[in-house]
Amino acid sequence: MTALSAAPTAPILLAPAAPPALAVEGLSKSFGGLTVANEIDLTLARGDRVALIGPNGAGKTTFVNLVSGLLAPSSGRIDLAGEDITGLSDVERARRGLVRSFQVSRLFHGLSVREHIELALLQRTKRTNQFFAAIGRMADIADEAAELVERLGLADIVDTRIDAISYGQQRLTDIAMSLALKPKVLLLDEPAAGVPTRDAGRILDVIDALPADIAVLMIEHDMDLVFRFAARVVVLASGRIIFTGTPAEIAKDEQVRAAYLGVYGREEERHGR
Amino acid sequence: MSAVTARPSPLRGDFIKLAAVALAGLAALVLFPNDLGLMTRIASSAFLVVSLDLVTGYAGIATLGQAALFGLGAYAAANANLAGLGEPILMVAVGGLAGAVAGLIFGAVVLRSRGLAQLVLTIALVQLVHEAANKLSDITGGSDGLSGIDVAPILGAFRFDLYGRTGFVFALVLLLATLAVLSVIVRSPFGLKLRAIGRDPGRVRTLGAAVMPALLVTFTLSGAVAGMGGAIEAISTGVVGLDSVSFERSAMALVMLVLGGSGSLYGAVAGTAVFMGLESIISAANPFHWLIIVGVLLIVVVLFVPRGLTSLAGDVRRLLAIFGLRRDKR
Repeated sequence: MTALSAAPTAPILLAPAAPPALAVEGLSKSFGGLTVANEIDLTLARGDRVALIGPNGAGKTTFVNLVSGLLAPSSGRIDLAGEDITGLSDVERARRGLVRSFQVSRLFHGLSVREHIELALLQRTKRTNQFFAAIGRMADIADEAAELVERLGLADIVDTRIDAISYGQQRLTDIAMSLALKPKVLLLDEPAAGVPTRDAGRILDVIDALPADIAVLMIEHDMDLVFRFAARVVVLASGRIIFTGTPAEIAKDEQVRAAYLGVYGREEERHGR
Repeated sequence: MSAVTARPSPLRGDFIKLAAVALAGLAALVLFPNDLGLMTRIASSAFLVVSLDLVTGYAGIATLGQAALFGLGAYAAANANLAGLGEPILMVAVGGLAGAVAGLIFGAVVLRSRGLAQLVLTIALVQLVHEAANKLSDITGGSDGLSGIDVAPILGAFRFDLYGRTGFVFALVLLLATLAVLSVIVRSPFGLKLRAIGRDPGRVRTLGAAVMPALLVTFTLSGAVAGMGGAIEAISTGVVGLDSVSFERSAMALVMLVLGGSGSLYGAVAGTAVFMGLESIISAANPFHWLIIVGVLLIVVVLFVPRGLTSLAGDVRRLLAIFGLRRDKR
């Protein structure tokens, strides 16, 4: 009897052995003599919430560019859900569920909010090579788009062109596109940067409510947001990870304070690293 | 369905615009029975400008060499005719096919480069084709052009008449059919991806969509449309000259596109009709300074209506909504 009742739970017991959502090993990148990423190791489990912080010029965006395939690393290895993706293009990485956003929203001028979300949904469901299909007749696309629009609070402006909405709403549209791709790993590059406080709360709510199975790595400067969001914080300085720990540990650490937190309000801030 | 899921139907708008082009064509047939040669040239040039719109307005790649595809279609159709192919519909098919092949090659070359270098490459290509056409006089007639095109009645039933009535209706019907097909394509999932690529190809890649194959397909499609236009011009005028593969023709097409409004099929058609219509009227009124007048008009449009003449329709709608004459949708 005990054997029978134990059987169904066996897969769950095995679950921790599943490969991490993202595993970065010894990732380095140099431009000539300048090393912008130096032997970076980072692992994200399924559902992880990790914040990547560091002073300006620390190499945070470079790291995201390396992982998402916009830059080729000088050495190192990147695994997505146990598969080596180091040699794959940005397109191929996105198709396998490694999705990123940009520090400054990159959206499609002239297209509506709805069209942005539809494009991402159509791409995920491999239908963007259909020439004669009417998007308006695809019930599954309409339903999923409506659900996303509702969840992100974009219902009022869904048919408004992207250039006619606020920056905060553009950020939300950007996130909606990322979610429409159903990523395994989501890399967010300062999602709330440049957004007026009035709209920032909405974005924070959305980030809090990101699906639990997605591993999220977020670059962020706002320490309040970091403490609210992250289970783990990684500190990058001069292309190297100098500290990993919980938000509480980070706040206490001398090295981090010297490299990053303490810099604020002082002259050195403008000089970056 | 909730308010969120109810998508505004784009097909109705397309149908209205298509009907407007058809009506304008029929009106031209009745009002200008002596100018049907010009009207037919407007229709065949509209193919060129629409094909340019696909590449430039939708896919975001500026080219000053589009006439190469148009002219190659014209030469192909004319040569097919001289070899014994009389049926005009088949001639247009030959022109479209030749244009498609040329478009694929053109795209494969042009897409290796970017920005200004890309633009220069398009100019180099059209000059190359122009010079080749000049030299290969056996198949192009060189600087004299190809003449002696003898077209059979359409489907064996509709004979081309002296006034150009058949030729115009033929061109108009094909233009309407092409616009109908393209309207569906630009609203399809592929068309949506294409419009996004035109704005930010790098961002489209991060969504997991390959950009280069989509652009090659677009160049091929664009070449087919341009080639059909070339064939129609060859059929209606009976000659193909070097000007059909010229840089000037390419540049004029871009001017017409900007005038009408790029990124809209009907903007391309309207720009062609307005430009060529004005050109004809002004050049008749003042044969010496007409280009100056056209130039000034263009500057006025670019400065005050930067999104092209067709964007005025939206402005009028908004004005009417402000004055409460038209119920605003939202």
